[in-house]
Amino acid sequence: MKWITREHPKIDRIACPWLIRKFVDKDAEFIYVPKERVFEKAKELGAIPYDIAGAEYTHYGDQCTFDYIIKKHALTDTALLQIATIVRGADTDRFDLAPQAAGLWAISAGLSYNYKDDHEMLAIGIKVYDALYSWSKYAQTEVHTWNNKT
Amino acid sequence: MKWITREHPKIDRLACPWLIWRFIDPQATIIYVPFNEVLSKAEQLNAIPFDIPGVEYTHYGDECTFDYLIKKHNIKDAALNAMAPIVRGADTDHHEIAAQAAGLWAISAGLAYNHKDDYELLEKGMLIYDALYSWAKHLQKEKHTQQPFENLLLNVFNKFLKEKKGTGKKIPAWAQELKDLIQDHIDTNLSLKELSKDLSINPSYLSREFSKHFDNLSFGEYIRKQRIEKAIELMTTPAYSLTEIAYLTGFSDQSHFTRIFRQHTGVSPFEYRKNLKKK
Repeated sequence: MKWITREHPKIDRIACPWLIRKFVDKDAEFIYVPKERVFEKAKELGAIPYDIAGAEYTHYGDQCTFDYIIKKHALTDTALLQIATIVRGADTDRFDLAPQAAGLWAISAGLSYNYKDDHEMLAIGIKVYDALYSWSKYAQTEVHTWNNKT
Repeated sequence: MKWITREHPKIDRLACPWLIWRFIDPQATIIYVPFNEVLSKAEQLNAIPFDIPGVEYTHYGDECTFDYLIKKHNIKDAALNAMAPIVRGADTDHHEIAAQAAGLWAISAGLAYNHKDDYELLEKGMLIYDALYSWAKHLQKEKHTQQPFENLLLNVFNKFLKEKKGTGKKIPAWAQELKDLIQDHIDTNLSLKELSKDLSINPSYLSREFSKHFDNLSFGEYIRKQRIEKAIELMTTPAYSLTEIAYLTGFSDQSHFTRIFRQHTGVSPFEYRKNLKKK
């Protein structure tokens, strides 16, 4: 399936493609276009519009598009639910929601500044969410002390 | 110059190479070896050992090797100064030092889990520290919302949330500020649904709270009332045509304007203006 959204992604429009490809649709293709062309292009290409007002896949109340995809596709992975809170905090300027939100925002904002090509940004962003997922699933209890010889 | 440290880097042993390459020695070679080989290999390869106890480039008190490099090489860079506590917080498990430390730690720990090859991990780490640096240099004040108007409303809403906690009965500051904002933006298409979506606020929640402080009117009713009041004010200026007034007060077309105006005042805009002239 094709998925289409606004250009210049930062948080939700990177996290959602990661989520879709990993949990919803392995072969998903992602398209970024200027805001005002999303619906027109979606129709033309038979793509699903997301993270834009007026689409089904969008924000609802204080929940972002990432949350909606989890709900819609009934995903229950606990690591994923933890990431959802971090993504929501970073995406909606609610850094109080999760301690990791401010760091995710800083790194994502900086990546978006450094990589003006949306697909290059997406490729790197996917690595960041793969990392967050591994941390949440496998490495969360690990405490870092600098001289533990490992 | 060659720099050598322990294998399996996470924070400091990625952040330091980044700092060395970007600020000290772009040609530097970074080498990772097992803990117990660092000193012998350093001597053998004529490399500078770092981030290991007992060498010059290491932790001092609360400060990590990243801090020491900045101090030792006398690097003056405001963005770097903002980054240092984040690195230190993530590296020394003191996430309270900087708000971004916990996120940097989570992403770094996950990257280390996913990339077992130290040099491949270093490559990914470079992207992360380049990003943190750009954020620190250019984007620290930036919020994620993209419209300046959204930012204003967001600030108002945050104020609203704060006051909610210790609320009294008098009109809270957020309500006054929201009033002023509506006044200033009366000619734009303000919809509560859109605004609350952009702001990630539950629309029914905001509209419920709204009426408490806006004469028991809903958001829509209040906006319409403001627009009609503005229209009446503009009518006193003969230079404006009724079409212009409809436009300036945010009505999409003349007939809509006429209908709403009649609902509020009992007469059409044309009659209202005629009566105004008589007086």
